[in-house]
Amino acid sequence: MPRNLKIALGILAVGVLIGLISLRGLHQRMLHLAETQAAEEKARREVLAPPISTPTDVKSRAQIFWAVSPDRIASADVQLGLSADPVQRAKQILHSLIEDPPTAEQRTVPADATLLAFYILPDGTAIADFSDALASETPSGILSEQLTVSSITRTLASNMPSLRRLKILVHGQEVDTLAGHVDLTGFFDLNPNAPLVPLPAPGAPAAAPSAPQSKPSR
Amino acid sequence: MLDPGHGGTDTGARGESGAVEKDVVLEFARGVRGALQGEGYRVVMTRNDDSNPSYDDRAAIANANRDALFISFHISSTGTVGTARTYYYQFWSPIPAAGAPSTPNPAPGLTGWEEAQRLHAEMSHRFADALQVELAQRFSNSPGRSAGVALRGLRSIDAPAVAVEISSVSVSDPSSLSAMAAQLAAGITQCVAGFRPASATGTK
Repeated sequence: MPRNLKIALGILAVGVLIGLISLRGLHQRMLHLAETQAAEEKARREVLAPPISTPTDVKSRAQIFWAVSPDRIASADVQLGLSADPVQRAKQILHSLIEDPPTAEQRTVPADATLLAFYILPDGTAIADFSDALASETPSGILSEQLTVSSITRTLASNMPSLRRLKILVHGQEVDTLAGHVDLTGFFDLNPNAPLVPLPAPGAPAAAPSAPQSKPSR
Repeated sequence: MLDPGHGGTDTGARGESGAVEKDVVLEFARGVRGALQGEGYRVVMTRNDDSNPSYDDRAAIANANRDALFISFHISSTGTVGTARTYYYQFWSPIPAAGAPSTPNPAPGLTGWEEAQRLHAEMSHRFADALQVELAQRFSNSPGRSAGVALRGLRSIDAPAVAVEISSVSVSDPSSLSAMAAQLAAGITQCVAGFRPASATGTK
């Protein structure tokens, strides 16, 4: 073999070796960066949407509806500290829906969306006010928008049997659609035939939380 | 009535491979129009170019035609590729409370524009189920039944109305969506031929 070719091959082999070492280092740095970003995201979310705890919290079973395939949601049982105050309890449940999906693929509500406010009217109508990210980051499409809305409504319906229907607001405003398709100008049925439950007077001690309805999972 | 969704600056869903919802649904609607006209039906489209009529403009076009069936076309950004779903408008239940009704009632004999679809809820559900049966036979892994969803584009339609959504713009080759057009047209034509709304006069 000519000497020049040997030298060229040697240089090439050294180059490949250096490349492999560099690639391994690059891969490790990318993994580290992803972990750092996830930790930073978690810390940021804890500041923006801190977990909700109240003095009446009791560890209870809740049913949260997350995606189980690109086309379907199903309930998962989780243990949550749930307040006796229905408004706080609803916030805790929706907080879990947004924050605790087991995997990124099971997420149904955009990670950046936060629940800004939640109200319950005397007729059993609930009003959930989400941040802009709910509308701006939900993928446009009937199926994707329906999965998002269904995960919210079915989670609330399963865990809050006294709520009859839901109105969804975005940043305090009624909007025409979620992301171009699903109509947000009306209401969504939760438990339309639920008997009216008088709301506790402001400042009055709230009753103990009721167990979630046992509905078959889909 | 055929309603290709989106249009103009509203592109709808976009895939990384270049599939753009507004273009694909226009292609679908034109294919269905040809198939239906071939069977002798009169077909009107809410758009036949890259315009984007408002929901109310689309409803106005649809509501100017008597004894119509309304089909809106969409492509999803998610879902199992190659599947098709049919939707009808699902209204919320009125609250049977003492006091004012939850929504204003129009005068007797008049239809409220904002909820014109409410009068056709049952017929739309039947039409959606019948169409979904046809589509499920043609697109494997599609659900066997339609689904009720509050779809803004159907709410003011004063006729049996459904939306068909094909999954999805995430296809690796946009031409695979175009390849679904013929089967979609065949399924819709078959369904329309067999569907008899209560007000049908027997003419095409």
